[in-house]
Amino acid sequence: MAERSVVVGETSVAPTDIEGVISDELKDDTPGVSGEVMLVNTDSFDECNHDLDTQKVTTEEGEADEVVGEPQSPIRKVQREQDNDLVGNMGDMTVEDVVCKVEADNVPVIPQHNNDDDEDEDDVDEEYLQSVDWLQKEKHIFILSESGKPIYTRYGKEDRLVTLFGLMQALVSFVADSDDVIRCIVSGDHKFVFLVKSPLILVAVSHSMASIPQLFMQLTYVHNQIISVLTASALTRMFEKRRNYDFRHLLGGTERLLDNLLNMLDYHPSFLLGGVQCLPLATSIRETITQTIIQYCSKIKNLVFGLIICQNQLISLVRMKKFLLHPADLHLLFNLVNATESLKTSENWMPICLPKFDPNGYLYGHVSYLADDCEACLLLLSVDREQFFTLSEAKQKIVDRLRRHHCLEGINTAIRSSAYTVKAVGAPELRHFLYKSKTTAQFTCPQFTPPYDSDEEQRRVFGLYQLLHHRVHSAARPLKMIYLVMDTHTLLGWVTKDFELYAALEPLVTKQNAIVYINKLLRWIKNDENRLFILSSPTF
Amino acid sequence: MDAHIQHKGIMTGKVDMKVVMLGQMACGKTSLVERFMHNHFSSNYQTTIGAAFGARIMDVAGKKVCIGLWDTAGSERYEAMGRIYYRDAMAAVVCYDITQPDTLARAKFWVTELNKNEENCKLYLCGTKLDLVEKDKEARRVDFQDVTDYGKEVGAKVIETSSKTGENVEELFAQIVQDFAESNAAIMASLKDSFPLTEDDKPRRKCC
Ligand SMILES: Nc1nc2c(ncn2[C@@H]2O[C@H](COP(=O)(O)OP(=O)(O)OP(=O)(O)O)[C@@H](O)[C@H]2O)c(=O)[nH]1
Ligand SMILES: [Mg+2]
Repeated sequence: MAERSVVVGETSVAPTDIEGVISDELKDDTPGVSGEVMLVNTDSFDECNHDLDTQKVTTEEGEADEVVGEPQSPIRKVQREQDNDLVGNMGDMTVEDVVCKVEADNVPVIPQHNNDDDEDEDDVDEEYLQSVDWLQKEKHIFILSESGKPIYTRYGKEDRLVTLFGLMQALVSFVADSDDVIRCIVSGDHKFVFLVKSPLILVAVSHSMASIPQLFMQLTYVHNQIISVLTASALTRMFEKRRNYDFRHLLGGTERLLDNLLNMLDYHPSFLLGGVQCLPLATSIRETITQTIIQYCSKIKNLVFGLIICQNQLISLVRMKKFLLHPADLHLLFNLVNATESLKTSENWMPICLPKFDPNGYLYGHVSYLADDCEACLLLLSVDREQFFTLSEAKQKIVDRLRRHHCLEGINTAIRSSAYTVKAVGAPELRHFLYKSKTTAQFTCPQFTPPYDSDEEQRRVFGLYQLLHHRVHSAARPLKMIYLVMDTHTLLGWVTKDFELYAALEPLVTKQNAIVYINKLLRWIKNDENRLFILSSPTF
Repeated sequence: MDAHIQHKGIMTGKVDMKVVMLGQMACGKTSLVERFMHNHFSSNYQTTIGAAFGARIMDVAGKKVCIGLWDTAGSERYEAMGRIYYRDAMAAVVCYDITQPDTLARAKFWVTELNKNEENCKLYLCGTKLDLVEKDKEARRVDFQDVTDYGKEVGAKVIETSSKTGENVEELFAQIVQDFAESNAAIMASLKDSFPLTEDDKPRRKCC
């Protein structure tokens, strides 16, 4: 489809004209760069690939770790240090309690509240496998146990797909027999990608633009979501103790979190980029918000993270000095808030496991919207499960002060009007872009405007971004820059040590103009960087 | 109705009475709370993660009583957290679904647990989804008389409600505060009289 393309490889000695011209002008003016880091900024994507490459090794280490009893668990660490102070004492009943209870043998049978599935014929599998609509879904996701028991399917009902799940399990164990791990099968334009993470097997079947490594990354997100609900150690133990457990209930009603996550993965750039989008906000407002959180929370022991988010965007994040938040964990928090309508009307106290922070224990989250008249959600994450009322009180004080300083209005205004279109840049042939600042793990992008005004067009351009992303991250041949001229688009992907940029331009743009526009874009972002990014890293 | 609801930002000190909702997944706890607090019902099921806290002020015996209500998750995954929600509760609404007999077994588990650990907690066994039975008598799978017999044994009052129609929901909570008022004269004496809330009730702000 590409008529001509310019590709700059890692190894090429003389950079092409494009890169030369732009980087000359750029010098130290890279937008969004900051020495102050609050989010883990190792590229999630590379990290995920690295995890896969070392898969066999880590499982072995994982087992060894468990016996010792999570010696490096950050949750334990915070508890131990602060235990001595006897403030908000949570005693010793923490992760372990929850885990042993989950193992309790007399687990009640959870009723299935689907009144529409009373037939239980044996050949029900066939039903789906003959449904054109089901077969043509762009991306299927299946989760099963290592013994082949169905746990989740994105489309349809898992108990109607027993044979298919059995087949997937057979494939995995067939390859495992020769001491290997199955990764993927490609057949026509369908990719079958397997992620084996004992005790679970996750499978993606896709004919979307997502590449194999990108599908791995998506499956890793799905796995993280499960860990976030159950914790890794509870998951392992459940499988060890109860071989005959009905695994369909494993997720206990939290399938909606997976459904929501899978929808987001199909169109939201944050996962692809491994970055977080901030709500664009005047620095003075953001500063007041952050100071307010610090003011009322810094004295609260055991509080690890305090953050305000809205519509999948970060407004403010304050952290305990020695911990960073991983973007992948933050995405799960976004997803939780996003998928839980009922948070809007109450104050909530929820156990939340952040797999990158500590896969084996829960943090306890005080989660509530700021006010009836403000759509932003405050999350206070603590290792102390007895702290609800302390945090509730802090929340009230935070909201009162934010109201006094007109920050709630500020947030509301930003929610209504801070999104920008690519017009703001003043580069006429530039249609859309994604810009990620690598040091801060944050990204910014404009709203879609024509020609990307339909869902279909947006999906298409997202697919093209996936393609660009795949090319610049290709393990075999990573590229610094890619310039593709297609009949409907001109695409540019550019990766430096500080940023990643993906841009869609008019198909007939000249290379010269493209350079001018990209320069203009970088200058524009630089100008607005304090609004678009959080460049400081506040702590309690 | 909204005038007497304060579902956000209630602090420990402002809640006069802690009430906890317990019972198996999907038996109707959140719906009951939603009807009581917001006079609203949705047939769309979203399982509760952890627990949700809300408060509402009710008038009883010429006083304003602020009820702090914990709506807990039914999933056994969070069972170990149960204790932090029911500790020091003055009342527990233990729910079961009258169309699902196994939910009663779960309710009995909670009754035993509470009787063992929380002497001062009054128990209310609440059979939910009464509307389903009124539509179709066959749907009833838990006999009211059986539960009242059991209730007498363990010292629990029994009521059947429908969050869909609202039947008996207000009555349930009225009963709960009534019982609270009768057995906590001292606390009641210290409470504000029943006249409309004024701005003075808000906590004083300090200068910063
Ligand atoms: N017809 C009818 N349906 C009800 C009634 N109460 C609850 N339901 C339905 O039962 C389902 C579960 O209700 P919830 O209130 O969410 O159950 P829960 O006990 O909070 O469940 P968990 O949070 O998972 O522990 C929902 O689909 C409700 O609409 C009722 O009185 N009548
Ligand atoms: Mg509920």
